[in-house]
Amino acid sequence: MMRYIRLHRIFIAQYLKRLMEYKVDFMLGAIGLLIAQGMQLIFLGIIFSAIPALKGWQFEEVLFIYGFSLVPKTIDHLFTDNLWMVGYRIIRKGEFDKYLTRPINTLYHVIAENFCVDAFGELLTCILLLAYSIPKLSIPFHWYTIPLFLIVSIFATLIYTSLKIMTSAISFWTKASGHITHMLYMTNDFGKYPVTIYNKAVQALITYVIPFAFTAYFPATYFLTGKNPLFCLGGTVIAGTVLFLLAIFVWNRGLRAYESAGS
Amino acid sequence: MEAMIYAENLRKEFKKIIKEPGLKGAAKALFKPNKEIVTAVDDISFEVPAGEILGFIGPNGAGKSTVIKMLTGILTPTSGFCRINGKIPQEDRKNYVREIGVVFGQRTQLWWDLALRETYSVLKEIYQVPEEQFKKRMTFLNEVLELDSFITSPVRTLSLGQRMRADIAAALLHSPKVLFLDEPTIGLDVVVKENIRSAIRKINEEEGTTVILTTHDLADIELLCERIVMIDKGRKVFDGGLSELRHNFGDVRTLRFELVNGPDFKLLDYRRRFKLTDDDVSAERDGSSVTVRFDTAKVSVEEMISYTLSTVHVKDLNIKDVEIEEIIKKLYRREVSL
Repeated sequence: MMRYIRLHRIFIAQYLKRLMEYKVDFMLGAIGLLIAQGMQLIFLGIIFSAIPALKGWQFEEVLFIYGFSLVPKTIDHLFTDNLWMVGYRIIRKGEFDKYLTRPINTLYHVIAENFCVDAFGELLTCILLLAYSIPKLSIPFHWYTIPLFLIVSIFATLIYTSLKIMTSAISFWTKASGHITHMLYMTNDFGKYPVTIYNKAVQALITYVIPFAFTAYFPATYFLTGKNPLFCLGGTVIAGTVLFLLAIFVWNRGLRAYESAGS
Repeated sequence: MEAMIYAENLRKEFKKIIKEPGLKGAAKALFKPNKEIVTAVDDISFEVPAGEILGFIGPNGAGKSTVIKMLTGILTPTSGFCRINGKIPQEDRKNYVREIGVVFGQRTQLWWDLALRETYSVLKEIYQVPEEQFKKRMTFLNEVLELDSFITSPVRTLSLGQRMRADIAAALLHSPKVLFLDEPTIGLDVVVKENIRSAIRKINEEEGTTVILTTHDLADIELLCERIVMIDKGRKVFDGGLSELRHNFGDVRTLRFELVNGPDFKLLDYRRRFKLTDDDVSAERDGSSVTVRFDTAKVSVEEMISYTLSTVHVKDLNIKDVEIEEIIKKLYRREVSL
C-alpha cells in the first residue's frame, strides 16, 4: 500500500512534467477550462433564476445537491481519467501489453499514469456552489458531519470509478467500449438534481440499477435534513463497495480475454 | 533441474469475424456475424535451459509474437501451459514479470513525453530497484548501449536506433533472469544492429541471462544463437542447433571467384559437366564476380574447384559454408522439409 502511494506521487510528478512539456497546449487548455466552467456557472444561474423552486425543493437546496454531485465526479475525474483511454485506444491498439509486463496491479497502473488537471475547473465550480448554498441553508452540524462527508465522498467516488472500470473493461472482449462509458456517464446528469422530480422508472433506474442517486441526491438530503442516515449514507457505502468488487471482478476476467494486437 | 523456459502444448485460438468487403459487408457482419476460429499457435512445446540464447524464427504471421505474448503472460493460452523460472505467468503475473524483461521492437514501452532519464527513474520505482544497484546498473547500461548522448531527450525525439537501445535498457534495468526480445533489430542500420547484438551477448555472458529472440535478420541468429526453434503456420517445424540445421539441409557450400574476363562465365556449365539439376547447383554472375552454390553430396569441393580453374581464368577464389539464410529462405518457400 505504501509502495503504491509512493508510486502515485512519482506518477503525478511525471505527469506534471509532461504537462509542462507542451506549454502552449497547457496554457490554452487552462484558458479553455476557465471559460467552460464560467459558462456552466452562468448557465446554472439562468436556469435557477427562472425556476426558484423545484417540486418543493428550494433554490439553495438544489444548488447544494448539484454542488455535492460534483465532489465525487471531480475526484473521479482528477484521478482516473485514463480509464477512458482504455476503452477508446489502449486495448484496441494493443498498448495494454505494457501494463501486463510490469510487476504492479494493471488497473492501478493504468489509472495512476494520468492525472487530469482539467478537474480543477470542476472543483472550482463545486466549491463556489457549496460555498454559496451552505450559509443560506440551516444544515444540522455535528462533530461528525465533516468526517461523514469525507467518507461518503470516497464511496460516492467509488460508484463513478467502478462504473467506469466496468464499462472500460468491456473492451477486453469487444476491443473498444469508449462509447459505452460515454453513454453511461451521460446518465449521471440525472444524479445532479433531486430525484423526486423524475418519474418512478427513472428514479428506480438511478437508485438501483446505475446508482447515481447515491452519488449526490441521497447523501446530500441526509446532510440537509439529518434524516434516514441508514439508507442515504449506508446505500452509498453499499453501492460503492458492491460496484467496486464487481468492477475488480470484471476487470480481472477481462485480462484473461485480452487478445493484444498484431505486431 | 527444470529448464528456465518450459512450454508444453501451447495453443492459442482467436475468434475472427469474417466480413464481406464494403460497407454492406461490414453492416451484415454487425448483425449476422460469421465467426471463424483461427488457430494462431498450434500445439507448440519446447524448452530453453538457463543461460541459452534461443532464436525464434518463422515467416510473418507464423505465430511468433503470439508465443512470446503467452510466455510473457500477456495472452492466456487456449490450452497447454508454460512455466518460466518456475512460475506460470498467467497465475502469478506480478511476481513473474519482476524477473523478466520484455522488448517489443515494434512498440515502445517508454513514456512518449518523458525524458529518457525520467522514464528510468519511474521504472526503478515500479521494479523497486535499490538506489545503489540502480546507479551501478545505469552505468553498466550506459556503457553497453551508449545511452549517454540522448538520455536527457524526451523519448518522442529519439531516432529508431536510439529508441530501441533505450527500450532494451529499460527491459534490463531490474536485472531480469529471462529476456524476451521480439524483433529487437527491426529497421535498424548495421552499426546499431551490431551494438545491440554485442549488448545482448554481453548480458548473456556476464549475467547468464536466458534470452529468447525473434527476428527476420538471420545474421542475428548466426551471431547470437546456438539453437533455433522455427515455427510456421502456428506449428513447430524445427528445433535444434544451427549445425544440425545445416546438416539436415544438406551440405551446401558457396564458391565465390573473380573472373579475369567476365564474359568467360558462359564457358562454365556445371549442370552438364556433373549431370546436376537446378536444385543441386546454381551459378550467378555480377560483373566479373561469380557465386556458385552446390550440394557436396552430389559433387565434391575438389571437383568443383578443379573444373572451374581448368575452364576459366580466375583471379581470386574462396569457398564458404552454407549460409543459414539460404536454408531458411528455402524453408520459408517450403522447398525442403525437415
